[in-house]
Amino acid sequence: MLRRYRFEILAIIAILVFCALFLYTSSKMGNAEFAGSDTVGSSQIAKITGIPEEQFHPLIGQWVPPSGEIESALFALQAAVGGICVGWFFGYWKGLKEKG
Amino acid sequence: MHIMEGFLPVFWCVVWWLVALPCLAFGVYQLKRVLAADREALPLLGVTGGFIFILSSLKLPSVTGSCSHPTGTGLSAISFGPWITAVVSAIVLLFQALFLAHGGLSTMGANTVSMGIAGPLIGWGIYRALRDTRVSMYVTVFLACAFADLFTYVVTSLELALAYPALVGGVGSSFVVFMGIFAITQVPLAILESVVLVLVFKYIVQLRPGILIRLKVFSEGKILAAGRDA
Repeated sequence: MLRRYRFEILAIIAILVFCALFLYTSSKMGNAEFAGSDTVGSSQIAKITGIPEEQFHPLIGQWVPPSGEIESALFALQAAVGGICVGWFFGYWKGLKEKG
Repeated sequence: MHIMEGFLPVFWCVVWWLVALPCLAFGVYQLKRVLAADREALPLLGVTGGFIFILSSLKLPSVTGSCSHPTGTGLSAISFGPWITAVVSAIVLLFQALFLAHGGLSTMGANTVSMGIAGPLIGWGIYRALRDTRVSMYVTVFLACAFADLFTYVVTSLELALAYPALVGGVGSSFVVFMGIFAITQVPLAILESVVLVLVFKYIVQLRPGILIRLKVFSEGKILAAGRDA
C-alpha cells in the first residue's frame, strides 16, 4: 500500500513542506513583498546601469493588462487551457484502457 | 525568468532571437515528423505540453521573499527532446508576451532560449546520460525535470549578466547577483515541480506504456517493470 502510493505520498509531503516554508518565510521576513522575480530582476538592472526603471521603454509596443485582476484572469485562462489538455488526454487514455 | 520588454538592449535581443529561430524551425520539423509517424504521440504531447501551460502560469512564493514560476518543461524534454519542447514553450511565451506583459516580443528570443531550449537541453542531457543505467526511471525523471527548471533560471541570469556587466567585476559579478535573484528563488520550486511531474509520469506509465516504449523514452524492460510495480 505504502509502496504503491509512494509518489502520491511524496507529492503531498513536498506540498506541505512548501507551504510550511512559505508560512515561515512570510512570518520571519516582515518586509517580504513576494514580488515576481522578474520585477526584482528589472530593479536590479536599474541598479546596475544607474538608469531608473521608468526610463526603460518597450522596444516593441506592448499591451499591458489594465489591472492585476485582469492579469490574473488571463493567467487562470492559461492554466485552464493546460488543464483541459491534460484532463482530456488522460481521460482518453483511461477510456482506451478500460475498453481493453 | 521572463526578461521584461525593453529591459534587453537591441543587440542582445537580436542575438538571442538568432539562436532561438533555427532551434524553433528544427522543432517544428521534428514535431510534424513525430505526429505523422505515430498518432498516439499527440495525446502525450497534449499532456506534457499541458503541464508547461499549467506550471508556467503558477507564480509561487519562495524562501527569498519573492515569487517565481516553475517551467514544467522536463516531461516534454524527456518524451520529445528539447527542440519540440522549445516550440511548446514559445507558444506559452508568445501568449504571455501578448496578453500578460510578461516578457515581450523583443525579449522573447532570450526567454525562448532560457525556458525552451537551454533548460530542456540540460534536462534531456541528464535523462540521456541516466536512461540506460541502473538508476531508477523515476529518479531520472526527477533529476531531468529539476535541472530543466533550475537551469532555465541560470541561463536567464547569464543573459542579463552578459547584457548588464557590473562596473566592478564585470559579467561574473553581475551573474552572481542575478543568480541570487533568480536561481536561489527557484530551488524549492524546482523540487516541488519535479515531485509533481514524477507523479504525472507514473500515471502515464500506468495508463499508456505503449507510446513511451514506441518513442523509446525508456527501455521496454524498465517501463513494463514500473507498470507491474505500481
